Amino acid sequence: MPVLPGAPVDWMLRPVHRWIWGDHDRRVRKLLTFGEVETDGGRDILRAAEMTPDPLLRRLYLEHAIDELRHGDMFRRRGAALLQARPAAAAGFFGGSPLPGGHGLEDLAIDGEPDRRLLAFLHVAEKAAAGRFKIYREVVDDDPPTRAIFEEILRDEVFHMNYTYTQLTRISPRSYRWQVWRARATRLWKRYLGVATALAGVIGATILTIMYFVLLPPFAWLAKRGADREAPGWNPIAGNRRDSSKSQY
Amino acid sequence: MKILGISAHYHDSAAALVIDGVPVCAVQEERLSRRKNDAGFPLAAIEWCLDHAGLEPADLDAVVFYERSMLKFERILTSALRAFPRSWKSFPHAIKNSLGEKVWVRGIIASHLGVPRRKILFTDHHASHAAAAFLTAPTRRAAILTADGVGEWATLTVGHGERHTHRRDGLTDITLQREVRFPHSLGLLYSTFTAYLGFAVNEGEYKVMGLAAYGRPTMVAQVRRLIRRTPDGAFALAPEYFEYQTTAGRSYSSRFVDLFGPPRHAYDPIDLETDEGRRFADCAASVQQVLEDTLVDITCALHRDTGLSDLCFGGGVALNGVANARILAESGFERVFVPSAPGDAGCALGAALYADRMYFKNPDREIPDHPFWGPTVNAGELAKAAREDGQTVEDLDETALIDRIAAELAGGRIVGWMDGASEFGPRPLGHRCILAAPHSREMRDRLNRDIKDREEFRPFAPVTPLETVDRYFELPPGGARLARFMSGVFPVRPEWREKLAAITHVDGTARVQALERQMAPRLHALLESYGRRSGMPVLLNTSFNVAGEPIVNRALEGYSTFRRCGIDALVAGTTLVTKHAAAARPLTEGVA
Repeated sequence: MPVLPGAPVDWMLRPVHRWIWGDHDRRVRKLLTFGEVETDGGRDILRAAEMTPDPLLRRLYLEHAIDELRHGDMFRRRGAALLQARPAAAAGFFGGSPLPGGHGLEDLAIDGEPDRRLLAFLHVAEKAAAGRFKIYREVVDDDPPTRAIFEEILRDEVFHMNYTYTQLTRISPRSYRWQVWRARATRLWKRYLGVATALAGVIGATILTIMYFVLLPPFAWLAKRGADREAPGWNPIAGNRRDSSKSQY
Repeated sequence: MKILGISAHYHDSAAALVIDGVPVCAVQEERLSRRKNDAGFPLAAIEWCLDHAGLEPADLDAVVFYERSMLKFERILTSALRAFPRSWKSFPHAIKNSLGEKVWVRGIIASHLGVPRRKILFTDHHASHAAAAFLTAPTRRAAILTADGVGEWATLTVGHGERHTHRRDGLTDITLQREVRFPHSLGLLYSTFTAYLGFAVNEGEYKVMGLAAYGRPTMVAQVRRLIRRTPDGAFALAPEYFEYQTTAGRSYSSRFVDLFGPPRHAYDPIDLETDEGRRFADCAASVQQVLEDTLVDITCALHRDTGLSDLCFGGGVALNGVANARILAESGFERVFVPSAPGDAGCALGAALYADRMYFKNPDREIPDHPFWGPTVNAGELAKAAREDGQTVEDLDETALIDRIAAELAGGRIVGWMDGASEFGPRPLGHRCILAAPHSREMRDRLNRDIKDREEFRPFAPVTPLETVDRYFELPPGGARLARFMSGVFPVRPEWREKLAAITHVDGTARVQALERQMAPRLHALLESYGRRSGMPVLLNTSFNVAGEPIVNRALEGYSTFRRCGIDALVAGTTLVTKHAAAARPLTEGVA
């Protein structure tokens, strides 16, 4: 199965990808984030290897997990090497959240999931990742070691993409197409949920910040006065506290 | 009476079941979910505990949560208010975090388990620590010390406990008399240095302890500017050096950085040959010394106040084995008891025991003195999987297996060892271990490189039979008790250091486990067999996991770890699997 050139949206976003990867600090952050995501994905697939009753799948999942863990290590090492090459840029650099994007398995639920769903999900995720990594490989032309990492990972992704599809057709010969479409729809739904949750988070944080500055000042004044009255050191513990079994206070 | 204890929502959640006053089982959620330090609601752990005992939730008499969640929320809110307006960034995060799930514990437990809300009880966080330390220890009367980052408000408490076994009612008393309150916290002081040194908070504290041995305490004066002793014998932190009470992003302030220099980034290696590497080691040594001095002072005072000979020590700070050894040596207490799970996971067991003894006033019961409360390994599962993969599988009788493993170890091979129920707590105490010969530095480097993938400065621990521990290690009186659950760091006798190079830390010490035969008879037999071959019944014993993963639980988890790292042989029960080169070959695209 050939590697797709990436989703249309990724191709449209190529200037954005180029902008992200063109900056040293953002490149480091991306690589380190990828390191974590690949490692997490590897552990999820390892879990699948431990759960599946199918011996062949267990071996394949295990090899897949080993690959993902190795990819995580490669990304981390490269990110760390770039960081060491320009350490001054690291100051205050990791204070915020990492940039969104990258490749990962997005809260993959392993326990209780049948193999056909896992394989379909892995296939769709690997295919998307392979397309995106192909774009990344092109936009890091100026950085041969990073490009080499993407090339190596791309080769592995092709294997992962192929084995997941082949095994899906083996264990679910009549419904494999439906499983793949279902995985695509689930992935899309999770993306939507992710965006909606992030948006809700921003709205919630904005409202709480407004409340903080509008409603809290008098309470803050009282709390600070209370703090001034507290002497550091030992505080006695009230005897009745230990008998209060029902109270959350 | 059937009581389920739960700890959750901060780090390392767990569940424990106590029936008629005796623990039946306990397990950390991470061992089942396979997510290290899993802090989520421990549904898998609860289900396993109930299944193990053959109970339905309706059979439970009480479900006890290990802390008072609203009181904790009060502390979070009050801290944000006190830091106004500097806390504006952390406030939305803190409120969302708390209101999202953490304060609705009663409802969450009721909805997950379907138990009536009246059956859901709460204990103080530090009372749970105290109960976990005192009620699991084989002592009738003891002073109690608990210390961690923070519970509700308390960060450190002192008190005493007594089992009234001579009285007809057999009641138990746990009295915590005094506490130090947030933001003044020994645990948070140490965690701040953990973050400053580039390690993960609540995970990398033991790395700071390991690094400390490479440094000199040249910055004690600076650390003492962060923490001053109060006239009543407690301590107070200087808030201007910390930010954990105002922000979620960073625990130390710019003034802290002015005092100690630039922090280490998590991805920078620690090179102890450089000035920068030595500065970090000196920082670690300095905060370690201040922590030890403070704990020794507090425990000396506690010994004077109580006049008791035993101390039970709980809370995450009790994982600091170097400090524990100094407490034993200098405080005046003759015995120091640290449970196998002194951290928050252990609070699940502590909360259940506390409710049994203190709320329901049930008579005291003797508690088995071992840490093996988790799921049992299934050797058949391992044999089946390994055979399907074409590995070499042997089922041996007990004596032959022990001899064979001893021979493998003596031949320089590394063995994954799974036996019976898993340990409750972070230490490999005989049932989920990676074992190796302890004699050469090469073995230490091989383990670090091929299996554990961890920093060079971190030491490996030894295990040896209780009967021979004094021959190789300098244990003070009472040291064997501390070494039962690997809770103390003691000197390796100088004449043995070269022959035990893989487990001797740079300062000549080791976090030894003194293994009693009754606690783990098979490992004890293996140590004796290895001793007959090598002349030294000592093995290197490290937790059965690789970096970033929880300790293995089921046989298949041990097997998948064995398959992808440098472990040469794997044992579960009497099943032995050895690595087969052909079976371990990588799969190619041809398979697909």
